[in-house]
Amino acid sequence: MTSRFRLRQALLIARLELKRVFLSRRSLWIYALAMLPAVLFLAHALQLRYELGQARQGGAVAPAVLEAFETGMSEQQALELAGKPGQDRERTIRRSSRREEQGKEIFESREVRTRRMVYFDGSRRAHLWFEDGRLRSKEIHAVLNFTEDREVYAGVFQYFYLRLAIFFGCLGIFLNLFRGEMMDKTLHFWLLAPARREVLLAGKFLAGWTAASAVFTAGALLAFAAMLWPHLGAGAEAYWQGPGAAHAARYALAAVMGCAGYGSLFLAASLWIRNPIVPAAVLLLWEASSGFLPELLQKLSVLYYLQSMCPVPAPMEPDVPALLRLILAPAAPLSPWLALLGLCAFSALVLWGAAAGVRRIEINYSTD
Amino acid sequence: MAVYKRGYQRYGGPRAPHLERLMVLPREAWRRLMAQRVVTALLALSCIWPLLCALFIYVANHAELWAGLDRDFSRILAVDSAFMLTFMKVQSVFSVLLAALAGPGLISPDLGNQGLALYFSRPISRLEYVLAKMAALVWLLSLVTWIPGLLLFVMQASMADSGWALANWRLGAGVVLGFWLWVALVALAALASSAWVRWRLIAGGAVLGFFFVLSGVGVLVNAIFRVEWGDLINPLRAAYGVWCVLAGAEMPAGLSLPTALLALVLMGTVLSLALERRLRAVEVVR
Repeated sequence: MTSRFRLRQALLIARLELKRVFLSRRSLWIYALAMLPAVLFLAHALQLRYELGQARQGGAVAPAVLEAFETGMSEQQALELAGKPGQDRERTIRRSSRREEQGKEIFESREVRTRRMVYFDGSRRAHLWFEDGRLRSKEIHAVLNFTEDREVYAGVFQYFYLRLAIFFGCLGIFLNLFRGEMMDKTLHFWLLAPARREVLLAGKFLAGWTAASAVFTAGALLAFAAMLWPHLGAGAEAYWQGPGAAHAARYALAAVMGCAGYGSLFLAASLWIRNPIVPAAVLLLWEASSGFLPELLQKLSVLYYLQSMCPVPAPMEPDVPALLRLILAPAAPLSPWLALLGLCAFSALVLWGAAAGVRRIEINYSTD
Repeated sequence: MAVYKRGYQRYGGPRAPHLERLMVLPREAWRRLMAQRVVTALLALSCIWPLLCALFIYVANHAELWAGLDRDFSRILAVDSAFMLTFMKVQSVFSVLLAALAGPGLISPDLGNQGLALYFSRPISRLEYVLAKMAALVWLLSLVTWIPGLLLFVMQASMADSGWALANWRLGAGVVLGFWLWVALVALAALASSAWVRWRLIAGGAVLGFFFVLSGVGVLVNAIFRVEWGDLINPLRAAYGVWCVLAGAEMPAGLSLPTALLALVLMGTVLSLALERRLRAVEVVR
């Protein structure tokens, strides 16, 4: 038997398995998980376009006008300065206050007339809050903020996509390859086929990897496109002609390699351990705490290599306690090619271990 | 008398009290939980963080150990609401992992082997069945949540100045009440997944997914739409909001006690309904 023949066998097994992985009802939740960021970014894009349309309907003022509003000015002054606002809402609220007089606490409640005016200068929106006819506060923010959206995408990709969606998606796909067949009592059909166990493993891994990569890469790229959509004509083209395409490619590569890294681990776990939820939980903890580990140990996590492939570093969560910030020491990222090489080597090593596991696998349906 | 002439008749002998009969279920469930080495191992692993926290309290109360260090160090080594909330956050993750391992084996075997009809033909209601199964899990989760939390509070109270416990009683009450709420939610999620998913493996994954993926979705919604209501679909965050109020700490922006409580109650209600729908004394096989 030549290695070419074994390769053909592996590809055949992969093709058969792909149908099972892709077209099963059990995989629906994985599609949902993969497409969720894309759906949310799309909804956000639609919301932005709607808001822009609404703001434009109200008419735009000169950018300098937005800066000219000052706290304390009257409603009349604001109207004279900027004209009719795009949005104008008035209402009366009851406000209670507390003051101390001669050692006694006195509670007072009075009616306050409030008014909210919104002006738009073509790209930014100013919210003016008036109380009893005087400007109490103003907030100016850009309706479209491309830099912020890109940062949000980087955070979503690294915190949700890599750590949760790909992690749990691969858990579902790769556990199903052997352990699922064991529970369906169908694994013996594969083992009776005249193919080496390692070939079976390679075929199944290939099927799982292809399916997971297709689903998660498509999800990541769709989310990226949905993030860019509202900014078309406002910086997105320049970004796409500059580093944008390379960024998209690096996100796609990270998704593909994430599927390879986590997939090989879960496949090996399903062959070596009867309850692979245990290694999955341990891996989840390991990956979550990798930032706190010494640099050498951080390099033993899949996430370290995946983060090195991402073009933008993930922003740190704001509510991390001071003590944890003190001991948090993320290792310096590798170059993307070195990270790719490292992850390929890591997956190959894990699959080699899985091959040893598949050689000793014995069917005992009654215990599963 | 010939055997065929012996008709079946109701048992007329002495009967154990109702509660005693009911306790058979959690006792048996507990025995089976403890028979799993992996549950015992994770239980032991879950004690590491409380031990580290105990060490922290010891160091924080012995100023001579860090006398030569920066003065700001005393601010970091404070045993306050931030310390307790960090402890609760970490232990809540361990409690989810424990529930993912221990929970799926509680109801799914009864369902898989059509055993519910046998249970419910006895004087046990569905609610009692759920509470009895839940009791074993609640006790297991208590061992890693409010019990070590309370021990830490007692340890700090005994090592600090005499007025500390009185001034910080909310920390102790918060850790107990907050964890009771959390344990109830985690136990409900574990039982619901055990009732709906026949395979223990997948049911364990569903428990992990419920808490971690839902948390991720909440963060995702907040980040993309620049809002804060995403915290309401995040069980970890909603519970954290309640803990903050109970421990007397500042609540995270965008959350309020009524909304956080409402979110947790809604999640609990959905899980309870899922459980109620699945636990029937009869099963229609098509």
